[in-house]
Amino acid sequence: MKVYITKSEATGKNIVVDDMILTTDMPTTAGSKMLDGYMSLFEAQAVTALKENGYTICGKANTGEFNLDLLGETSHFGPCEENGVLKGAAAQTVKMGDAMAAVTLEVNGSSARAAALAGLVMMKPTYGTVSRFGTIPAACSGETVCVTAADVDTVKEVLTALKGHDDKDGTSLPQEKCVLGQAMPAKKVAVAKSLLTADADTLAKVEAVKAKLIANGVEVVEIEAEQLLLAKSAWNILMSAELCNNVSKYDGVKYGYRTPNYTNIDELYTNSRTEAFGYLTKSTVLFGSETLSEANYFKVYDKAQRIRRVISEYLTAVFAEYDAILAPVCSKTEYTVEETAANKYMAYEESTYTAPSMITGIPVVVTGGVQLMGAPLSDAALLAMAETL
Amino acid sequence: MDIKTLSRLQKLNQLNLTETEENELMAFFEKAEKDAEILASVDTENVERMVYVMPMTNIIREDIAKKVFTRDQLQEQAPEAMDGYWQVPRLVE
Repeated sequence: MKVYITKSEATGKNIVVDDMILTTDMPTTAGSKMLDGYMSLFEAQAVTALKENGYTICGKANTGEFNLDLLGETSHFGPCEENGVLKGAAAQTVKMGDAMAAVTLEVNGSSARAAALAGLVMMKPTYGTVSRFGTIPAACSGETVCVTAADVDTVKEVLTALKGHDDKDGTSLPQEKCVLGQAMPAKKVAVAKSLLTADADTLAKVEAVKAKLIANGVEVVEIEAEQLLLAKSAWNILMSAELCNNVSKYDGVKYGYRTPNYTNIDELYTNSRTEAFGYLTKSTVLFGSETLSEANYFKVYDKAQRIRRVISEYLTAVFAEYDAILAPVCSKTEYTVEETAANKYMAYEESTYTAPSMITGIPVVVTGGVQLMGAPLSDAALLAMAETL
Repeated sequence: MDIKTLSRLQKLNQLNLTETEENELMAFFEKAEKDAEILASVDTENVERMVYVMPMTNIIREDIAKKVFTRDQLQEQAPEAMDGYWQVPRLVE
């Protein structure tokens, strides 16, 4: 099982960071042959914040290439799997007890899925409350540094260390908005009926959480939430377009992989990128490029940006009435290497459940194998709710 | 999506796909086009684009020089470098 790209001998308050987060004492690869062995000259603000708060980085967890995939199956270094069943590597380090928490960059839902399948607690905080400085950019307008641990208290503790304004991140929110703070108990939770498309075992987890909420005196109401179904396509468009731009710098000249097979500069660029990127990255780049073409820019890319607002405004209306939305994180309780090899776009399809929060930047807590989405800056309330479950 | 457009995209992005990959991607494009049609059916005429998910304000910082990396540091991981230059194949004959 390929869990680590690099394992450190660190002992103490161990945190594993995924291989999208820059460190200066260990390589950072983004799960890609393009960055195999790449040593950064500077570290991510998340790493600095963890060190300043007394944590040690015990290793770099294996990731899918640029974290676009389902559960790390596209890593150049091989998937993290057990008997053919995919395990998210960062979540696996927590499950094994190597690390008290995992800090990862959520791009397309892989961290949430891994936590849900492993029975761990994970929080994707409100966009802009944890610095993205020093993370390898893939889909900047939604990607967020998140925390996975065995319990809510640990997630809260690590998140408190990570949160804060950072001048080096242009999307960082003012300090007063980054503070986790205290929260009132939840009174009303909505269940998104449109997302109840998972298998029976997963839906049973939703029912179990729903029952606990009701037992805790929370009113649980089913809502249609059809608008959330638009998020998958819109996020795939925006994510692909942003990835296309973000990986255009990898050309085999200044750093990263350079092909030995070239006779001129065009062959150097093309063969370096062709040999170094995996299929999912290549197809995402090409799809993103097409959405940004003259013929499609307004029809597809611009439309996706407007759809983002439609979903965001819908969620604002929902959160005016409800404290959270309860939904599955994925459609099944297990995914195999074989399945993802047969359907390379499985991550796109499964993002039905994770895209609503990715495209709008709202916070999410994963617990009991399901997710609770909340209004922007309601992170503390979501954690408090998870604590009661 | 047709093969001519896909070839153009590959050239633009300096990426090559195998024939099997091209066929897989064209099938994905067809599916994505159907998804895009669903988005197109949503009336967004009076909806503004949402570029940033959280309200952003422009931040102006003091123009103070901070730690910078030396050329040697920056070229440490160059696939090929010589005398302070990144090396590429000859561009002009």
